[in-house]
Amino acid sequence: MTIDLAYVLELVLNGLMLGLLYALIAVGLALIFGVLQIVNFAHGELMMLGSFTMALLLPLFGLSYWPSLAMAVIVTALVGAAFYQFFLSRVEQTEFERSILITLGLSMVLLYGAQYIFSATPRMVDTSWGFEGIEIGAIRMTWTRITGGAVALVAFAALYVLLKWTQLGRAMRAVAQNREAALMVGLKPRVVSRNAVTLAAGLCGLAGGALAPIQLVQPGMGQAVIFKAFALVIIAGLGNIPGAIATSLALGMLESWIGGFYDMVWQEGSVFVIMIVAIILRPEGLFQARGMRVG
Amino acid sequence: MKSGLSGVGAAKVAAVILALAILAVLPLLTSSNYLLGVAVSGLLMTVAAAALNLVYGFAGLLSFAQLGFWGVGAYCSAITVMDAGGSFWAGVLVAAGVNGLLGLAFGYPILRTRTHAFVVATITFALLCNLVARDWISVTRGPLGIPGLPPPRLLGYEIEGSARFFYIVLGYAVLALCFLYVLETSRIGLTLKAIKQNETLAQSQGISPLPYKLAVFTIAAVITGMAGAVFAFHLRVVDPLIFDFYYMQTFLIIVIIGGTGSFWGVVLAGAAMVVLPEALRFSNDLRMVIYGAILVAAMLLMPRGVAGWIEDRRLASLRANLR
Amino acid sequence: MIPLLEISDLVKAFRGVRAVDGASFAVQAGSITGLIGPNGSGKSTAIDCISGFQRADAGRVHLDGTAIDGLPPQRIARAGLTRTFQDVRVYDTYTVLENLLVVAKPFATTNWADAFLRTQKFRETHGQAEARALDLIDLVGLTRLTHAPALILSYGQKKLLAFAAAMMSNPSIVVLDEPVAGVNPTRVNEVAEIVRAANRGGTTFLIIEHNVDFITSLCDHVIVFDRGRKLTEGPPAEVHRDPLVLDAYLGVEPGHEPHLARAG
Ligand SMILES: Nc1ncnc2c1ncn2[C@@H]1O[C@H](COP(=O)(O)OP(=O)(O)OP(=O)(O)O)[C@@H](O)[C@H]1O
Ligand SMILES: [Mg+2]
Repeated sequence: MTIDLAYVLELVLNGLMLGLLYALIAVGLALIFGVLQIVNFAHGELMMLGSFTMALLLPLFGLSYWPSLAMAVIVTALVGAAFYQFFLSRVEQTEFERSILITLGLSMVLLYGAQYIFSATPRMVDTSWGFEGIEIGAIRMTWTRITGGAVALVAFAALYVLLKWTQLGRAMRAVAQNREAALMVGLKPRVVSRNAVTLAAGLCGLAGGALAPIQLVQPGMGQAVIFKAFALVIIAGLGNIPGAIATSLALGMLESWIGGFYDMVWQEGSVFVIMIVAIILRPEGLFQARGMRVG
Repeated sequence: MKSGLSGVGAAKVAAVILALAILAVLPLLTSSNYLLGVAVSGLLMTVAAAALNLVYGFAGLLSFAQLGFWGVGAYCSAITVMDAGGSFWAGVLVAAGVNGLLGLAFGYPILRTRTHAFVVATITFALLCNLVARDWISVTRGPLGIPGLPPPRLLGYEIEGSARFFYIVLGYAVLALCFLYVLETSRIGLTLKAIKQNETLAQSQGISPLPYKLAVFTIAAVITGMAGAVFAFHLRVVDPLIFDFYYMQTFLIIVIIGGTGSFWGVVLAGAAMVVLPEALRFSNDLRMVIYGAILVAAMLLMPRGVAGWIEDRRLASLRANLR
Repeated sequence: MIPLLEISDLVKAFRGVRAVDGASFAVQAGSITGLIGPNGSGKSTAIDCISGFQRADAGRVHLDGTAIDGLPPQRIARAGLTRTFQDVRVYDTYTVLENLLVVAKPFATTNWADAFLRTQKFRETHGQAEARALDLIDLVGLTRLTHAPALILSYGQKKLLAFAAAMMSNPSIVVLDEPVAGVNPTRVNEVAEIVRAANRGGTTFLIIEHNVDFITSLCDHVIVFDRGRKLTEGPPAEVHRDPLVLDAYLGVEPGHEPHLARAG
């Protein structure tokens, strides 16, 4: 088999873009676990919400990309804040089953609610850019893809700055590290937790919004992604943000590579096998490590 | 007090006999295939939920692997009949055997993990089963699945028609539920709930948690797998949709509403949760929205289910009386 | 004569903090031995290592001449060493009687099939276990509450129930972690009486306590722990006069009464 260089490059770029958007989801999941010790089952549905907001608003905004994306982020972040306020804030950290079942229930309401209202039929989302893009030699990328990747990169840079150098981010890290101690130095774990959930939901909205013009939008899209995100976050170690980004990129690459060259068989399966093995090999290390690594 | 207790017992026995009698004559009361179909899926889901209750309600293992076992069971029976030329009965037995081995092989390493790790690992297992069903095309025929499952045969007669198939399902459900009842009310059930309540205390009393957990995990795998195997012949087709998360959510909601660890609560909830919405003719999506809302509400307001809520009231009054 | 329980050079560190630091001591068969020491001196950690709930970094533990270190807790319990926990633990939703029937040892001759099928053998075993459980419930004075859920018991009653559960398997030695801490002072003597009665029945006791009167009246031998190892040992009356012991309880000048009785 002769390998076409342009083809390889295209695979790499596609993989990178896919990986970046996965990483947005995975990072949110890691953030919520780090600060609240909750595995958020409704995370994928938040992303789906972002996609639907984008899909519904684009026609209203005359197909223009940026205002729709901004609204997708805002709406999803607000829903995230409401999630925390009404549901997650009532769960103690030790009640892991309750937190799982509550977020599972919320994901059911969102998923089947979207199916009830919009039907399960996938919809194409069009932007004013259409299928325009750039061509460098034989490589072609649409604007929506390029923008999606760029938006994710900017989001990571912003997130890094936020967690590393702002008061808001330091508080999140402190609560993740040691809740009691954070309480004693005057931090309010509830406020910090709400911020973390809102931020993570906003990232979901961003990913969902950016994915909408790239993929088909359908209610089940969140479930397809969330389980992959679980896998990623677990392979990296829950609460480990750079790890989550790195594994997401690796997975994006892996998927587009395998998908490009081999049969579908065992493509995603391999990820899940790795994940089960990772959990078995170091369950404590993955789940009980206190604190949140930022970089 | 004593006579009151035996009164409750007698009422229970009467209720069970009544329910069985109604179920036994159901095919005579209605010839509607739709209603019998609802009864069939209701019975099988209740059995799967009761198996989940054994794992979660008794052993405290919030296992999403049940979904995997359910689907693997369905594939086992379908493949046995369609590709290996076996009978329906052989298919169900193959499902039991395969799930037993799978339960042991997966349970042994995974039962060492705890809380979030266990939950996520079991979800991953279910997803892996789904992916294998989709991608291992030479065995499972891939996304299109295995259509056209023939009706079961018994002693050379074809069990054609919903009514006769209903009796097979009823027979299996009664057997499986009886087994679970005898198990859960035995000393094994007592030990399981002790492990669930406080594992270290149980260990300090000479109980080894792992063998109990592994046994329960495997038993639930077998029972769920057999239910899935029968369910495949109700659907007449098996495809990767058998691993739809929808089934798992339904099992879970039945257990949560009925009350984790309460045998009768779960059986009643199973009947109610499957039959009521059908009677009210909700669309499937709306029903799941309602289930989700109920799950959230239950977790916020009565985390131990209806049976747990009643139990709490009872204990509160007991406490008030004794103090 | 070899001691019933012998601990040698036990070490357990948490992230660099050596909670148990080379402890060696022995408990003679038939004795009621006290284990005292300031808060944080590593008593509970030592017990956790001995009973298998924590893995010691180093050291050996022998029960009746057989090494038990490294065994899981359930094996150690079945070998004849049971314990209670400092934070009292019972099964809240189970009745007092069920709390005792959970214990594995009395059912050792039956298997799962017996339990599932309720065989004749199982029913006989169950009957014997229930008889023993009722005796123990009587011993700790909870007969009136036999069929009450443990949830409604008071703190002190739960401690008694946990004690009865530890006795249920007829162990050779029972380790009690602070059996009277938080118990109504008027009831402390009752607990001492119950321990004495059980001791007359042949059970050896190792008792961690801060309550001096309780230890002094009950124990024939006291081991003093400080900073993760044995400081001294001897008859209770002598130990309490030992200047080393007074020093160990921080802030206490020799000549002043030590504040041993945190809960007394
Ligand atoms: N799981 C743990 N992780 C970290 N440090 C621990 C742990 N358990 C105990 N320690 C530390 O080990 C030391 C000994 O604790 P331990 O509970 O054994 O003392 P103790 O003698 O039982 O005290 P007390 O009389 O208060 O019960 C303490 O400094 C304690 O903080
Ligand atoms: Mg202690």
